[in-house]
Amino acid sequence: MTAAVMNPARRRRSRWTPARLGVYAFLLCAALFFLLPLYVMLVTSVKPMAEIRLGTLFALPVQATLEPWSMAWQSACTGLECKGIRGGFWNSVWIVVPSTILSIAVGAVNGYALSFWRPRGASLLFAVLMMGAFIPVQVMVYPLVRLLAMAHLFSSLPGIILIHTIFGMPVMTLLFRNYYAALPQELFKAARIDGGGFWRIFLQLMLPMSTPVIVVAAIMQVTGIWNDFLLGIVFAGAEHLPMTVQLNNIINTSTGERLYNVNMAATILTSMVPLGLYFISGRWFVRGIASGAVKG
Amino acid sequence: MSHVNKPAKRRRFSLAANIALLPMALTVLFAYLGTMLWTMRVSVSSSRTFPADDFVGAAQYVRLFNNERWLLSLHNLLVYGVLFIIACMVLGFLLAVFIDQKVAAEGVLRTVFLYPYAMSFVATGLVWQWMLNPELGIQEVLHKLGFEQARFDWIIDQDMVIYTVVIATVWQASGLVMALMLSGLRGIDEEIWKAARIDGIPRWRVYASIVLPMLGPSVSTAFVLLFVMVVKVYDAVVAMTQGGPGTASEVPAKFIMDYLFGRANIGLASAASVVLLTTVLAIVVPVYFVRNRAGKGKAAR
Amino acid sequence: MNKTNKTAGAIALALAAQAALMAPAMAQNPAPLKATVIHWWTSGGESAAIRQFADAYNKAGGQWIDQAIAGADQSRATTINRIVGGNAPVAAQFNTSQQFRDIVDQGLLNNIDDVAIKGNWDQIMPPSILNAIKVKGHFYAAPVSIHMPAWFFYSKAAFKKAGIADEPKTWDEFLADLARLKAAGVVPLAFGGQVWQEKITFDAIFAMVGGQELYLKVYRDRDQAAVKSDAFKQVLVAFKKLRGFTDAGAPGRNWNDATAMVITGKAGVQIMGDWAKGEFSAAKQTAGKEFGCFPGFGPKSPYIVAGDAFVFPKSSNVDVIKAQKLLATSMTSPAAQVAFSERKGSIPIRGDVDDSTLDLCAKQGIAIMKDKSRQLPNSEMLTSPDTNGALQDVLTNYWNKNQSADDAQKAFASALKE
Repeated sequence: MTAAVMNPARRRRSRWTPARLGVYAFLLCAALFFLLPLYVMLVTSVKPMAEIRLGTLFALPVQATLEPWSMAWQSACTGLECKGIRGGFWNSVWIVVPSTILSIAVGAVNGYALSFWRPRGASLLFAVLMMGAFIPVQVMVYPLVRLLAMAHLFSSLPGIILIHTIFGMPVMTLLFRNYYAALPQELFKAARIDGGGFWRIFLQLMLPMSTPVIVVAAIMQVTGIWNDFLLGIVFAGAEHLPMTVQLNNIINTSTGERLYNVNMAATILTSMVPLGLYFISGRWFVRGIASGAVKG
Repeated sequence: MSHVNKPAKRRRFSLAANIALLPMALTVLFAYLGTMLWTMRVSVSSSRTFPADDFVGAAQYVRLFNNERWLLSLHNLLVYGVLFIIACMVLGFLLAVFIDQKVAAEGVLRTVFLYPYAMSFVATGLVWQWMLNPELGIQEVLHKLGFEQARFDWIIDQDMVIYTVVIATVWQASGLVMALMLSGLRGIDEEIWKAARIDGIPRWRVYASIVLPMLGPSVSTAFVLLFVMVVKVYDAVVAMTQGGPGTASEVPAKFIMDYLFGRANIGLASAASVVLLTTVLAIVVPVYFVRNRAGKGKAAR
Repeated sequence: MNKTNKTAGAIALALAAQAALMAPAMAQNPAPLKATVIHWWTSGGESAAIRQFADAYNKAGGQWIDQAIAGADQSRATTINRIVGGNAPVAAQFNTSQQFRDIVDQGLLNNIDDVAIKGNWDQIMPPSILNAIKVKGHFYAAPVSIHMPAWFFYSKAAFKKAGIADEPKTWDEFLADLARLKAAGVVPLAFGGQVWQEKITFDAIFAMVGGQELYLKVYRDRDQAAVKSDAFKQVLVAFKKLRGFTDAGAPGRNWNDATAMVITGKAGVQIMGDWAKGEFSAAKQTAGKEFGCFPGFGPKSPYIVAGDAFVFPKSSNVDVIKAQKLLATSMTSPAAQVAFSERKGSIPIRGDVDDSTLDLCAKQGIAIMKDKSRQLPNSEMLTSPDTNGALQDVLTNYWNKNQSADDAQKAFASALKE
C-alpha cells in the first residue's frame, strides 16, 4: 500500500497516493491555522497607526512602512529612555545561557539518578517537586525574595540564574526521568557489570544518548527563560534586566497611548532568538540514536 | 513509563547518587516545601499587603467559597483543562505523525508549528482578541464575503468565551506537544517499521497498536506539562479577555494574582493557592497510585 | 632647542590656563544625588512628561536613574518586592489612594514633612489630595498630577453627522444625544468592556446622576441606608441604560481602541480619563477642533479627583534622604508641574501656576478645581484596594449579565460592608 513511502532508502514523492495527498492537505490546513495570527501581526507591524485605527485587521497595508520596526529596535520609549528593546539583548543572553545549561544539567542528573539508581526517599522528593510545579509563580515570589535576600543574592545575576534553575527543575527532571525510563535497561546493566560508577555511566553512556531530549529541554528552557518577565524584574537587579522588561514597557501601559505597530514589531523581534533555535534544532531531530546504541 | 527492573533489588545505597540529588533535595525543602508551608501560614492570617502575624482560622477560606468569582474560576478551569489537554494531545500527536512522513520542507513546517510557543502571549493574545472580535475579526470578514448570517462572536458571549481561550492556547502549545512526540517518534527503531512492513500490517495499525504504546513516556511527559500549563493559565486570559465579559472567563491563577497584587490581600490569595494546590493533589495522587499499582503488576517485559 | 622650548612653553601655558578655568568649576560641583525611581510611565507621551521631572531634578543637582516598569499593578508589586528584599528604590510611583497605606503602617516609608511645610502644601493642594498623602498628620507621598477619570470626549464630525449642535447640559439631554448618534449610524458610546473601565463609567454616572452627597455617603461613609436607597437604585438603572448605546465588540476592548473609534468618527462619545488626550495627540487631533471635551453636565457638575504620587522608601542614608527631599521639591515645583502636565494630559497639583500653555480641556479642569465645592475624591482614595475590587466585581456582573438593579444593589451593599 504505502510501503514504498516507508522505505528510507527511496526519497519522498515516489508516488502521489491519496494518503500522501492527505498528509500534505492536513499539514497545509494546520499551517494556515497556525500562521493566521502571524499574518495579522506582520501586517499590523507595517501599517501606520492611522490605518490600524480603521480596524481593518486582515487588509494589506495601503502605505506600508518599516518605521515601526526601526522604532521597536532602537527608539521606542521604555520609560525615561527611548532606546527600544536592543538595550536588554545581552542581558538576556547572559541570563539565558547559564540558566539553560544549569537547569538542563541538573534535570539530567536528577532524571538519571531517579530512573536508574533510585535512592531511598527519592520518589517522595520527586513527587513533592512535581507538586511544586503547580504553584503559581507569583505566590512563590515573596518567600523567595526573603530567602535570596538572606543569602545576599537578591537583585544579582547569580540570583536570577539560581531562580531559573529552581523553577525549571520540576519540568526538566520530569523530562529526563521519563526519557531515561524508556531506554533499554540492558544498557545500564551491562555498564554496571563492566564496572561503571554513577558518573562514568552518566557521562559516557547516558548523556551521549540524550540528544533528542536535550533538544526538547533546550527549546523549553530557552523559550521560557528568554520570554520570562516576572522573575527577571524581581530578581535580576537593575544592571541585569532582561530584554523582556523593555518589551513589556513598550507593549504594556495603563494610561498611555498604544502604538500597536511598534508593539507587534517588538514582539516579533524579541521572539527571533527562540525561533532561531527552533529552526536550527532540526539537525538533532534525527532517527535512531538509541536504537543504534542497542545494536551496538 | 515502564519500569522493567524489579524494584526490590535496586535499592543498594549509592553515595554518588545521593550526593547528586542534593540540589534537588535542597530546592524541594527550601524553595517548594518552604513556600507551601509559608503560603498555608499566611492563608490563616489577615495579611493584606504584607504578612501579618495574627491567626484568623478559616475566615479567608469562608470568604473564598462565598466568592462567586472564585467558584466560577474553578469551574472554568475544569472545562478549559479537559478541552485544552485533549485538543493539544490530539493535535500535537497528529502533527508529529504527519511531519514524520518524510515530508518536504520539514524544518519550515516544524518552525511554523512551534513559533507560537516562542512569542510573548501579551501581543499574540491581543491579536486573538482582535481576530475573534465580532466587529473586527473573522465574523466581520465572513460578513464582508457575503455570509451575512455567520456568527462567530464567542468572545463576547458569557458561556462561550472560555472556548476562545482554549483555541488560542491550543494554538500556542500544540507545537511543543508535537516536538515532544516527534522526539519520541524519532527514537523508535527502524527495525520496527521494517518488520511491520514485512508482516504486511497496515500503516495506521502500526501507529495505533505499536507506536502509540512506545510513545508512552512522551505522552506522559506531554500530559504533565499540559496539566501544569492548565493550572497556571494566566497570560492568555489577561491578554484576550481580561477575565471577561464580566467574570465569565475567570481562572484561578488570575484570581490569585488580582488579590495578591492589585487588591493587596495576600491572605485571601494564599487561601486560594492552597485550595488550588489541594485540588490538583486530589486529582494527581489517585492517578499516581493507580499507575504505581499497574506498574508493579507488570514485573518484567 | 629654540623651537622645542617655545612648544613646551606653549603647552605649559595652555595646561595652566585650563587648570585655572577648571578649578573654580570643580570646587562648586559636589557629587550629584543619585535617585533610582520606579514608575509606570512608558509610552511616548508619558516618557516626554517624566523627562520634565528628570530634567528638573538633574538641573537641581541630582542624578535621575530611571527604572520604569509598565503596568501599574506590576510596578507597585515590584516596588514592594524590592522594599522587602532590601533593595528599595529612592522613590516609587503610586496613585493618590489607599494603595500605600499598608506600607506606611509597616513603617517602611520616609516622610517628607519639611518639604511639605516649606512648600506650603496645606495651602496650595486640594483637600482630597492632602487626605490621601497624609497619614496621622505626616506627609508620606509627593503628589505630582491630578487626573480626572470621567471626562466626556466626543468626535465633532460624529456630532455634526447626528445634528448635535451643543454639548449636553443634563443627563436627559445626553441620552437624547446618544439616541441621535445611533440614528445617524454612529456608535453612540465607544466603550471598552474591561472591569476598571466599567467602574470609571459607573463612578461618572454616580457622581452626575446620584449627586455628590450620595457619592460621599456611599464611598466615604459606607452608609448602608444610602446604598439601599431608591436614589442609588436610580444610579444603577441609569448606568445600565448606557449599555444599549455600546456596540457588540465592546467586551475586553482596550480603552485606546475605544478612543480610536472616536478619533475616526466611528463612535460619538467616550467616557474616559484625561489621559486619553494622549491618543488624540498621537493622531494629531486637537481639543476644540476635531474633538471636544466636557467634564460633566451643567456648570456645577462634580470633578472627580484622582492622581499620581511618589513615595519614598525608608532609608537612614543621608544622601538618600537628601535625594528624596530634592525629588519631592523639584517634582512639585511650579515650572516642572506645568511642563509635566502639558505632556501628560493631567493638571498641576498646585493652583498657583500659569496654565496658558495647557490645552483646552486642562484649562477647563483648572478653572473648575478653583471651586472647592465641585471637587470629589475618586473611590480609590476612599476605599481600600480590596473593597474597591469587590465593588468592581459587583458592577461588572451587573453590566454584563441580566441582573436586576435590586439584586445589584444588594450585592453592592454587601461588598461595601467587608
